[in-house]
Amino acid sequence: MDNVKSTRTAFVAALEELFRLDERVVMVSADSVAVFRAGELMKKYPERIIEAGIAEGSAVMIAAGMASAGFKPYVCAYAGFLTMRALEQMRTFVAYPQLEVKFFGANAGMCAGEREGVTHQFFEDMGIMRSVPGFTVLAPSDADDTFDMVKRAYATRGPVYCRIGSGRDPVVGTDRILRSYGTDAVIIGCGAPLKDACEAADELKNEGVNATVLNVNVIKPLDEAFLSRYIEGAGKIVTIEDHNVYGGLGSAVCEIAGRKVTRLGLQDVYPESGTAAELRDKYHIAKADVVKAVKQA
Amino acid sequence: MKAEELAVMGNRIRRDVIEMIYRSGDGHPAPSLSAADIIACLYFEIMNVDPAEPAWEDRDRFILSKGHACPALYAALCLKGYFPRDWYPTLRKAGSKLQGHPDMKKTPGVDMTSGSLGNGLAAAAGMAIAAKLAKKAYRTYVLTGDGELGEGINWEAAQTAAKYGLDNLTLIVDNNGMQSGGSVETVGGVVNLPAKFAAFGFKTVETDGHDCGSIVSALRTEHGGRPLCVIAHTVKGKGVSFMEHNNAWHKGVPSREQYIKAVDELEKIING
Repeated sequence: MDNVKSTRTAFVAALEELFRLDERVVMVSADSVAVFRAGELMKKYPERIIEAGIAEGSAVMIAAGMASAGFKPYVCAYAGFLTMRALEQMRTFVAYPQLEVKFFGANAGMCAGEREGVTHQFFEDMGIMRSVPGFTVLAPSDADDTFDMVKRAYATRGPVYCRIGSGRDPVVGTDRILRSYGTDAVIIGCGAPLKDACEAADELKNEGVNATVLNVNVIKPLDEAFLSRYIEGAGKIVTIEDHNVYGGLGSAVCEIAGRKVTRLGLQDVYPESGTAAELRDKYHIAKADVVKAVKQA
Repeated sequence: MKAEELAVMGNRIRRDVIEMIYRSGDGHPAPSLSAADIIACLYFEIMNVDPAEPAWEDRDRFILSKGHACPALYAALCLKGYFPRDWYPTLRKAGSKLQGHPDMKKTPGVDMTSGSLGNGLAAAAGMAIAAKLAKKAYRTYVLTGDGELGEGINWEAAQTAAKYGLDNLTLIVDNNGMQSGGSVETVGGVVNLPAKFAAFGFKTVETDGHDCGSIVSALRTEHGGRPLCVIAHTVKGKGVSFMEHNNAWHKGVPSREQYIKAVDELEKIING
């Protein structure tokens, strides 16, 4: 059994700390109290969780209105229903006026949506949000990183979008450098696939190929200086993300790398229902794919 | 302000709308004219605001959801003292504080960015919820068009406003019966508005949207425990003879001759 810990539970634990710290912090839910495991929090703070119902656009506007009056809303919904259905509200009414609204999107990635199928698998969110001016885009590696990112969102000025997972999220680690074996390859990833990236680096090391694995949990603004240090000296560059290869981390790395980048992720296709493990294998974002990419890149 | 004075103010707003659009060379005159009396009543009788302190946290809030009618809002804000008249000719030009649609970060007195239709009521619900949570007495007013009620987000927000019993929220519908592409009945099927808002849990009243005494009474309707919806029956292009009921003036700029005629008509009413 994999070592798993819920990004959703971590979100609520951090949000509760913020509730205690600052009475302006509220949660705006699009029928996401259960999804985000916030039922107990709602019992403790019934007024601080505003339930808009299954109505993402309206939820975002309610948050915008509250932010204009000095509150700091955290809007919670499934990643795709936020970034696709309510994108215009996020862009025009939050990002453009730079209101203090933070967005947390669950089920981000193919694997996080697993058995639900394509309607609930959201692998375009980072690309969408990266293209909207004024947004900070976060992709925590695991539950502990999510806890930190809820706090980071609070400390970040202006709107933030943060993708989180299914609630059965592998423990990856929160360091920016997860493996540091050498410069034969740099593997740059975000989120749950970093677990496969790390295991691949371990396996490669045994074969005499020494790789570095970087956890990029801030997708925008990208820390170009940090990444460039590792990219410049690396024999090969591989990116891995549970996201379409267009628009997300792989694209962002290509924008700064100036040379060939092998991008692992969904290859511009729609996936399907299945367990996370089945889907990782079938759509080539598993350990074996990382090993292969490093050897072939 | 008395009803007669509010009527004059409505026409001063109209006069400035025409001047602003003529001098800047762009804008939506007819939708601004239909909203002028409602906006006059809000800013010069109903709302508790202070032009010297636009960000005063206890001020009443106003959202112009039909943001394309912003020349009427800008005129009201200018007449109220938020900014000088020499901003008028800059409307919609590069570097202007008067954007093509309302911008809360650029124009003093604008409480919410707006203009992509349908979104104002939900933002207003958020402001009203915020007032209750912060235990503040301010009220939130939102003016929508009728055509934009075709956007589903209005009805999402209406449900939430009713669920939270937002008795500090007033929605006014500028029910001029026309939208960009024609009549609201034939284009969007936006009909039976009083019954719809009543069914969604609003206290709903109707008024002549050009009778300031009636508008003020409607806005003061007791509506304990639930949000108020005022359906204001208006005429698109109201106050300028050749613009009334003429959807060609949804967007457009008067010629010099038309400008002189329109201002002349309005000043005759203003000067009684």
